[in-house]
Amino acid sequence: MQVSSHANQEAEIQRQTQMLQTEFNKYKSSADFVAFKYIKEKTRDYSVRNGRTEDLNEFIDQGLMIEVMINGHMGYGATAELSPEGIKKAFNKARSMTETASRFSVHQFDKKIRPSVTGRYESVRKTRLDKLSLVELFDYLKKTSMALKKSDLIIAAVSDAMLIECSQNYFSSEGAEFSQDFDIVVNSMSATASNGSETQTRTLHGGRGNCLQVGAEYFDFEKARTTCEEISSQAIELLTAENCPSTTCDLILAPDQMLLQIHESIGHPLELDRILGDERNFAGWSFVKPADFGTLQYGSPMMNVVFDPEVTGQLASYRFDEVGNRAERKHLIQNGKLVAGLGSLESQARSSISGVANSRSSSWNRAPIDRMANINLEGGNLSLDQMVAQVENGVIMYANRSWSIDDYRRKFQFGCEYAKLIENGKVTKTLKNPNYRGVTVPFWNSLSGLTHPSTVETYGSPYCGKGEPSQIIRVGHSSPYALFKNIEIFGGG
Amino acid sequence: MKNYLKLLSTDLFSSLSGDEQLSLALHSEESEFIRFNHSKVRQNTSVNQHELTLQFQSNNKSYKATSMLNLNLDNDRKTLLELIGGIRRDLSLIDENPKVVKMENHGVSEVFKKSQRPSTHDIIKKINAQYSDSDLAGLYCAGPVRQASLNSTGQFHYFENDHFFFDYSIYDGPRAAKGFYSEDVWNDKVFADTAGLLKNTLSLLNKPQIKIKPGSYRTFLAPMAVAEIVQIFNWRAVSRSSFEQGFAPLKKLYTRENLLSPLFSLTENNDLGLNSHFNSQGEISPKNLPVIENGELKNFLINSATAKEYNLVSNNADAGQWNNEAMRSIDVRAGTLNEKDVLTQLGTGLYLTNLHYINWSDPQAARITGMTRFACFWVENGEIAGPIQDLRFDDTLYNLFGRELIDLTNQQSTFISTSTYQKRSLGGMKTPGLLLKNMNFTL
Repeated sequence: MQVSSHANQEAEIQRQTQMLQTEFNKYKSSADFVAFKYIKEKTRDYSVRNGRTEDLNEFIDQGLMIEVMINGHMGYGATAELSPEGIKKAFNKARSMTETASRFSVHQFDKKIRPSVTGRYESVRKTRLDKLSLVELFDYLKKTSMALKKSDLIIAAVSDAMLIECSQNYFSSEGAEFSQDFDIVVNSMSATASNGSETQTRTLHGGRGNCLQVGAEYFDFEKARTTCEEISSQAIELLTAENCPSTTCDLILAPDQMLLQIHESIGHPLELDRILGDERNFAGWSFVKPADFGTLQYGSPMMNVVFDPEVTGQLASYRFDEVGNRAERKHLIQNGKLVAGLGSLESQARSSISGVANSRSSSWNRAPIDRMANINLEGGNLSLDQMVAQVENGVIMYANRSWSIDDYRRKFQFGCEYAKLIENGKVTKTLKNPNYRGVTVPFWNSLSGLTHPSTVETYGSPYCGKGEPSQIIRVGHSSPYALFKNIEIFGGG
Repeated sequence: MKNYLKLLSTDLFSSLSGDEQLSLALHSEESEFIRFNHSKVRQNTSVNQHELTLQFQSNNKSYKATSMLNLNLDNDRKTLLELIGGIRRDLSLIDENPKVVKMENHGVSEVFKKSQRPSTHDIIKKINAQYSDSDLAGLYCAGPVRQASLNSTGQFHYFENDHFFFDYSIYDGPRAAKGFYSEDVWNDKVFADTAGLLKNTLSLLNKPQIKIKPGSYRTFLAPMAVAEIVQIFNWRAVSRSSFEQGFAPLKKLYTRENLLSPLFSLTENNDLGLNSHFNSQGEISPKNLPVIENGELKNFLINSATAKEYNLVSNNADAGQWNNEAMRSIDVRAGTLNEKDVLTQLGTGLYLTNLHYINWSDPQAARITGMTRFACFWVENGEIAGPIQDLRFDDTLYNLFGRELIDLTNQQSTFISTSTYQKRSLGGMKTPGLLLKNMNFTL
C-alpha cells in the first residue's frame, strides 16, 4: 500500500468547501433559490495487454455547479475556475441566462424540488482506493493479463482497472447540506482467440459490466486467477463452436446479459423525462404513456423490479440524489404491473406520476436529469438446474456484446459472447455468435422462470449515455437467471 | 488562453531533467447549452472548463494525467508540478512500455475561427418565435472550443473555433422530422426557410402510417442516415490497432476476398476544417487520407504507437477513444444521382431520413443493426405513400456499400459533430445520400 494521501485530499476538499461556502454566502440571496455543488473525482484507468503496459491514464476532475431558480425556472452555471472571480463570472452568467430562459420555461417549479436535507454517505469499503499504488495495481493487471494469455491462440489478453474516487458536496439557500463519498472499481478482462479465419472474444461479464462500489480489498489475484483461466478457455472453445441456430425457442439469459436487458427495456422506457419528451431529439421517447402507470401489465406476474439505491456495494448506491432527495427502495414493476416511474422531483411535479430520487448528473459540468440508479430484478423459486430441466429446446446466453433498441424502447436486438444449447432439459453444445431479438412488452410477458435470490448476480455499467448536453452515468443492475418462452434467436455470418 | 498556456508550460517544461519529456494537450470551452422541449426552455447551462492532459515520458515509460485548470497561475503551476512529481516517482517502479515513441517537435501553428451570431438571449427568443406553432425538442450550443498541443521539444499548436449549432426535431404526436442548423454567420432568413421546409416535411407525415413487414427492400438513405451508418467505421473498423488485436470487420476487404462498390470512397478529409489540424498527440494530420477508394481498402488509420508496435508507418492518426484510431473528419465521395430524381429512381421502396442506435451485430462479418427514426416513408412508383412504423435493419457493410449500392447523390451534406459527452467534440462528416437495390429489415 502506498503512503496515504487521504489526509491531504480530505484537507484539500475541506479547504475548497470552506472557500465555496464563503462564496456561496455572497450569492445565496441573489435569486429565488441558489445551490452550490462541488464535485471532485479522481479516476485512474490502467490497462495491460499480453503482460505489457497498454495505457496508464489518470483524470482529476473538479468544478462547481451553481443552481439558480428565477420565477420557477431552474438554470445552471458550471465552472472549473474555483476562485472568487471565476465563481462570480459563472453566477452572473447563470443568473442572466436563467432570467431570460424563465420567460420561456417548460414548467414553473416551486422550491419543493430542492429539499433541505443534511447528511452524509460513504461507500462501504475495508481499504480506501487511494491506498492502492500504481505499482500494486500494475502487478495485479500484469498477472491477470498473463493468466488470460494461457495459449498462443490468445492474441490479445487485456486486463484493465478503472478506480474512481468521487466526493460530492452540496449546499443550498434552503438549508440543504450533504456530502457523499464514493469508491468505485470497474475491472474488465478480455481474451481474444484467433485461429485461421475465426476470431472470438470472451470477457469478464461483458465489456465493463463488472463494476462495484468497493475498496482496495477487491484486488486479489488468487481469486481472479480461476476467472482468467475460464475466460481464456471459453474464448478458445468458441473457435470451434457451432454458430447459434436461427430459430424460435426458449431462451435463458444469464445475469450478465440480463443487466443489459433490464437496462435497455425497463430502465430507459420508465424514465419520466423521456416520457415527458425531454429526450426526444437525442436518446429518444418511450412507448410508456403516463396512463400506463398502475395499469400496464409490463411482464409476467413473476416479474418484480425495484429501484434500489440502498444495496451495499452496488454501483449506483447513494443516500441522496444530487438535489437532496432521500433515496429509497421502491417497486417500479410489481407482479408484472407497472407501478412507478424513474422520475425526479422535477419530473414528478411535471407529470404527477410516482417517482424516485434519481436526479443525477455525470459531473459538476452537467445539469441533473432523470437517470437510472440500481434497477434490479428480484429472484424467483428455481435452481438453475431446475430451469434448464424445463427446457426441451433452447439456448442459454452469457455476457452482452451487442445492443441496439429503437428510440421508443420497443424493438430490440441484443447479442452475447457465449451460449450453450439445451436439448431435452440438458446443456449440450457450445454455440458462438448468439443473438436474439424481440419487442419489450411481449418479451417480458414471456418470462416464465427466475432462479433463486441466492443466484442473483450484481453488475452495472459506468457508461449509460443520455441528455442534451450529453452525459454518462453509472448504473447498477442485479438479476437472477431468467427463462423466456418462444424467442427469436439467430447466429452470426 | 494561449498566453496562459505559454506561461504555465514554461515552468512545467523547466522542471524536467535527463531524458524526461512532457507534452500538454488542452481542451478548453466556454459553452452555452440551451435545451428545448415543447419549443420552450427545459434547462439552460453555461460551462467554463479547461482540461489539460499531461503526457510524461521517461526511460521508455509513459503516463497520461488530465487535470482541470482553474486559471490561477500559481495554483495550476503548484498542482501540476506536484502531479508530475508523483508520476516521476511511480513510473520509475514499473515496467517499460514498448510502445512509447519519443516526442518530436511537430512545429508551431495557430488557427482561429469565429462564427457571427446573435447573443444566446436573442437566440432563445428567435427559436421560440419561429417554432411557437410547433412542438420542438433539441439543443442549442454555442461558444468557443480551444485545443492546443505543446511539448518540451518546442512544439506549440493552437486551434480555436467559436461556433454554434442547433440540433433539433419537431413533432406532430408521434410523427417527427429532424432539423439541424449551423452556419458561419447566423441568417434569420435561412433559419426561417429551414423551419418552413421542416414543417413541410412534418406535414408529409400526416398520412396513415404504413406497417412494413420484415424483408429486403429497395431503399434510399438520406445523408443523415448515411452519416449514422458511416460512423460505424469509426467504431474500431478502420483502426489498425484493433485490426491487429482481432477486431477486424474489414478483414475480407484487406485480404481482397471481398470488395465494396467502385462507387464507394471514404476519406479522412481534414481539409473540411471541422477539427483542429493536429491530432491529440500534436502531430499534423494529413490533409486527405484515402481509407477506402473505389471500393478497395487503401489505408487503415495508424497512430505512432501502433506503428511502433507492429513495425508500420504512422499516418498521424488520432489515438481515439481507448487507443483505437478513428477518423476525425469523414468524407464520403458523392455520386451522380440528382436530388430531384431520388424518388423516381427509388420507384417503390423505403425512403429513410434517419437511423438510430447502430451497433455491430456480428463484427467479424461486418454486420450491423439499427433502427429507422424520424421521418421515414414508404414510396410507391416515385410518390410518397405514407410514413412507416419503425423498422429494424440487420445487414453487412459489404452489402450496403458493395453489391447493393446503386448510386450516391451528387450533393453532399456536412454535419459538424454534436457530441457533448463530458466536453464538446470537434470534427464531423460530409456525406451524400445513397440508393440501394436491397436493404435487409428484420423486425
